[in-house]
Amino acid sequence: MKRLLGVVVALALALAPIAPVGAEQDTLAKIKETGVLTIGTRTGSPPFAYVNKNNEWVGFSIDLVEMLVKPEVAKAVGKAIKIEKKESTPPTRIPLLTNNSVDLIAETMTDTAQRRESVDFSLTFFYTGAQFLVKKGSPVKGVNDIAGKRIASQQGSTNAKIIREKYPQAQLREFPDQPAAFQALAQGQVDAYTNDGIQLAGLKAKAPNPGDWEVVGDFYSEEPYGMAMRKGDAKFKAAVDAGLKHGFESGKYFEIYEKWFGPKGDVPYPMTPQVKTYLLKQIGK
Amino acid sequence: MADAAIRFRDVNKWFGKHQVLADINLAVSPGEVMVVCGPSGSGKSTLIRCVNGLEAIQGGDLVVLGESIVRSGVSMSALRTRVGMVFQSFNLFPHMTVLENIMLAPVRVRGLSATEAEKTARTLLARVRIPDKAENYPANLSGGQQQRVAIARALAMQPKIMLFDEPTSALDPEMINEVLDVMTDLAKEGMTMMVVTHEMGFARRVAHRVVFMDAGRVVEEATPDAFFAAPKSERAKDFLSKILSH
Amino acid sequence: MNYQFKWSVLWSGQSGSWLLQGVITTLEISALAWVLAAALGIVSGALRTVPFRPLRAVGTFYVEFFRNVPLLVWMFFWYFGVPPLLPRAAQDWIFNHGAEFWAGMFALGVYHGARMSEVIRAGILAIPRTQFEAAVAMGLTTFQAYRLVIVPIALRLIVPPATNESLNLLKNSSVALTISVAELTFQTRQIETYTAKAVEALTAGTLIYLILCVGIAAVMARVERRFAIPGLIARGG
Repeated sequence: MKRLLGVVVALALALAPIAPVGAEQDTLAKIKETGVLTIGTRTGSPPFAYVNKNNEWVGFSIDLVEMLVKPEVAKAVGKAIKIEKKESTPPTRIPLLTNNSVDLIAETMTDTAQRRESVDFSLTFFYTGAQFLVKKGSPVKGVNDIAGKRIASQQGSTNAKIIREKYPQAQLREFPDQPAAFQALAQGQVDAYTNDGIQLAGLKAKAPNPGDWEVVGDFYSEEPYGMAMRKGDAKFKAAVDAGLKHGFESGKYFEIYEKWFGPKGDVPYPMTPQVKTYLLKQIGK
Repeated sequence: MADAAIRFRDVNKWFGKHQVLADINLAVSPGEVMVVCGPSGSGKSTLIRCVNGLEAIQGGDLVVLGESIVRSGVSMSALRTRVGMVFQSFNLFPHMTVLENIMLAPVRVRGLSATEAEKTARTLLARVRIPDKAENYPANLSGGQQQRVAIARALAMQPKIMLFDEPTSALDPEMINEVLDVMTDLAKEGMTMMVVTHEMGFARRVAHRVVFMDAGRVVEEATPDAFFAAPKSERAKDFLSKILSH
Repeated sequence: MNYQFKWSVLWSGQSGSWLLQGVITTLEISALAWVLAAALGIVSGALRTVPFRPLRAVGTFYVEFFRNVPLLVWMFFWYFGVPPLLPRAAQDWIFNHGAEFWAGMFALGVYHGARMSEVIRAGILAIPRTQFEAAVAMGLTTFQAYRLVIVPIALRLIVPPATNESLNLLKNSSVALTISVAELTFQTRQIETYTAKAVEALTAGTLIYLILCVGIAAVMARVERRFAIPGLIARGG
């Protein structure tokens, strides 16, 4: 038995140095060869990426890839390409990227300094911050009311990390996905559910009785969403960023935003002037 | 005959559609040794398994030690403390030592203290002539020794009746006598015994009565002398010629 | 591959204490669930072999009902389905006192009890019927015969498959993270969240599970040798 364990440890250590030595992957070359850009995205995060009532896999993030990134990547590889979608979740998305299962993560991933050590991020394509979803009339009105309260969060999210570090008096309960966390809120297992404000707005819009729920509190964190790519692939990143930049410049981006977040969109979430300024500042405007 | 230790009255039993006991009428007196013989499948094992309720009867009445065992609400456990049984396959409990096997029922059922039970157990082991095997596990005993422990285990409950279901059939020939000797001692002490066996020598020497069964029926019932000298039925003659000639 | 390995994330910062907490929670929930599973498994496994049809039906119902529904569903059942049956004040109390842990423990214990039941039933069926007859023939009740003879023999026979089932239970305790029990897998994911070093965190989790499983298997092998029935073929350890 001891010998077996020794073998496994040796194997793990032996593999470790081999892996990172490999040549840097050229994603564009791979896409040129296969004609396919594979993205990792969510199935249950409306309106960014989800499976709708007609069983179609759609969303804001997916539209951005289809309408802004895809043409630019096609131009870079010099041929028409297809988009393929795979499911990614917070714990799986970085491994999916690094093991080449997907080329681009386009969902609801916050651009953080920690993550930048493992992956590269595109320009920020959405800006939100952490808030709370509560039953209407709840004593929780914001991050200053959560001491002693049971707070649900999503496993692997930046919000959970902030609550744990800065608000340790709250009783944090971490769920692997949105539906479980919402169920816990609906049944009273928890007093509030914290996530990015836009996600909570989406959840509220989708709830059986949206009027029963409130999204409360100021942003207690900054959550700029970016698309993630394998680290160090400058050519591919340039293509993705060019697509987004073109979208901002031409106004196409704002049309897509309006489609999903406008008054008639899935989740009404009007863009504030500050957010618009933040987004345009990225391209020097 | 009201004081019979065991009385079968018009007992019938079926396994599904197959009748295994048919119109059995038999009585065993206190202190009597009855040997039951017959070809295999004749119902002789089933017959004695009815006495301690391992098999239920479906017609007639069976009275054991003054109590009808077909009456509803009769406690089989209480009955079985007074009727010991020895099986063909010994059935010692393999995870217990010889001593533990013998002490189990006296302690758990009779509520004897461990000291008392152990004293009795050691006396019984001496009686079955293996006092030195008390601490052994069954796997370390010969078949003959195991069967003698099984007899001691049954005797530990101080039963009024002992049932033997082919006690020597699973033994190597050289071990048969050591078991039969213990049984002979027991008979001499006046134990009421029903013995299913093919050991005709034992039947001739020890039994007070021999019952011959075939196809679920009692075909002959006689003293050993009468039975072995002049069996009345053709089937008994046939059976004896086969069993004595080999 | 562009992945940069950084094994130091496993011992820098809070990672070490998280992993330790994860291991403790995993062991706690598994140990309690194991006791529950063993108790339910022995009782229901024995019930399924007794010569009394209604009791057999009870045992069979338990096993078929609980082992044929995925463990994940049972986790949700015990966490989301059961508390609403309690008064509101009681609900609040348990939600403040580790409802996740207890729901996870029950889900795990009851589910594996049904699987353990099959193992124990198989053990009992491997014992010749005449052992039971010998036990009751000397005056033991059916209950005593099971408690003193049949179950003790069966338990000795089933140590290898029961070990297997115990390891499954330990590994399945990770499903409890779906109802926010901060066990080992949860904590490895946490490290991944903090450090974005998924491979290192998963490797640490994998090695710890391996060590726990190998340790349990070693303990069970010792138990098997200690309680082996003399005369049965001793299995190598």
